[in-house]
Amino acid sequence: MSKLTVENVSFVYSAGTPFEVKALDGVSVNIESNRITGIIGHTGSGKSTLVQMFNGLIRPTEGKILLDGEDIWADAKKISAVRYRVGLVMQYPEYQLFEETVEADIAYGPKNMGLDDAEIAKRVLESAEFVGLGVENLKKSPFDLSGGQKRRAAIAGIMAMRPEVLVLDEPSAGLDPAGKKSIFEGIQKYAEATGAAVIIVSHSMDDMAKYCEDIIVMSHSKVAMMGKRNEIFSRGDELEAIGLGVPQMTYLVRLLAQKGIDLPQDIFTVDDAEAAIIELFGGAK
Amino acid sequence: MKSIAFGQYYPSNSIMHRLDPRMKIIMGILYIVTCFLCKNVITFGILMISALLLIIISKIPVKIVIRSIRAIIFIMIFTAVLNIFWTKGEDYELLLSWRFINIYSSGLYNAAFIVIRIVSMIIGTGIFLTYTTTPIQLTDGLEQLLSPLKVLKVPVHEFAMMMTIALRFIPTIIEETEKIMAAQKARGADFSNGSLVKRAKALIPVLIPLFISSFRRAGELATAMTCRCYRGGKGRTRLNVLRFSFKDFVALFLVIAFGTGIVLLNIYAPGYTM
Repeated sequence: MSKLTVENVSFVYSAGTPFEVKALDGVSVNIESNRITGIIGHTGSGKSTLVQMFNGLIRPTEGKILLDGEDIWADAKKISAVRYRVGLVMQYPEYQLFEETVEADIAYGPKNMGLDDAEIAKRVLESAEFVGLGVENLKKSPFDLSGGQKRRAAIAGIMAMRPEVLVLDEPSAGLDPAGKKSIFEGIQKYAEATGAAVIIVSHSMDDMAKYCEDIIVMSHSKVAMMGKRNEIFSRGDELEAIGLGVPQMTYLVRLLAQKGIDLPQDIFTVDDAEAAIIELFGGAK
Repeated sequence: MKSIAFGQYYPSNSIMHRLDPRMKIIMGILYIVTCFLCKNVITFGILMISALLLIIISKIPVKIVIRSIRAIIFIMIFTAVLNIFWTKGEDYELLLSWRFINIYSSGLYNAAFIVIRIVSMIIGTGIFLTYTTTPIQLTDGLEQLLSPLKVLKVPVHEFAMMMTIALRFIPTIIEETEKIMAAQKARGADFSNGSLVKRAKALIPVLIPLFISSFRRAGELATAMTCRCYRGGKGRTRLNVLRFSFKDFVALFLVIAFGTGIVLLNIYAPGYTM
């Protein structure tokens, strides 16, 4: 059984008015534990609406969201319990920081869960470690941190709730390459340590290629493709038809093929390409 | 929430939409004054008809106008009830008497008058100002109407600019509030349950980020304005220069004639006087 199942979900904004917009149209997906799933799609393809359904911020107009096989809206009063189990990091999460210290801010979620102080302190330290936020930063005001650190503190705030499903909406938007890398490494660490189902929403095919095992492609409020990373990226023409393209390295491999240099077609990241090129020249890494 | 955000402006191509905003402000004020001048059955009747005419002229759907009246229905009922029970009119017919409650016919008249007055005022300000004039036009008009005060060193332009900016950012801030509330809900914040104190406290995690982003945005806007050489109202020209046209004066004349007519009818018309 899948950890999180979305069953034939539709959602309409401003239903019954002339401004009606269909944001999701009959979407069904399965999300597994112990795995990083990527959701990719254009602006307005419905990704953000979909992820806000995972933790019950938005209630589907039609269809069901099942967590461990149970409908999360079976009892609307218990929806906050679902929000602890499905942690959602929204876009630009650094704008949600409000406490006097980073420590207190990370502790906000666990406190709402009603955990005892010792457990909260333990989780704050662990979460800060996941995202690579040094202990020396915990006593600082969140507003004294750099942009990348703020983002990591906000993500730690969700991780501190130890969600079984961790959803991140564009976690690396607006960060420099180093900041991006540290965020994704933090997410990977969390996934490995807890065995949670992790979902990353992104625009970047390269990030997807590097960090995600399963990929869901959204287009025009529907799921266009869903499957393993290699499967999805081998359907480059279809991706291009949607207007998304494939990772840069895959393009490079194609160009090299045109010049008569044949490399394997399943190259998606710089590391893949490096290994293949070294092999081509007969070297060993 | 979004419906408040974009103000009450209702786009349409009526003559009312095309009048000069300065004139509409003046007419709106005159109309409200007229609402207070009405004193008897005939004038209040005419006032009611005038309000309906305004809605028809400006091509605003009645549904939208009713929605804005519904917002103050409680105040209307409250004042009407007060008037029914508290009007003492010994000269008038006593309709009902039960213990200490005496209801006179004058009380019923007054209640009806007050309700008509409030409804007409709401419709009047709505039609002349908010429904048919964009917020930007409104502040523009206000700035120019008040510009004589510049002689007295009143910073009219600055006030108008502040108002324009405030109006411009209402939708942005509402959107931001919704986002932050969603983010804190995702961390287990509960805004709808618990005691009043608890709910007020639950808003702190929303208000602090909201204030911070507002200050940040204000700073960014100031920088952007400075980069485009904004230096206050002095010597500043405008893209859309307001000019009165013939129809503006006709409209003003009609409103003044309406007010004068009401005053005259107050004097000469028979019946109960408030």
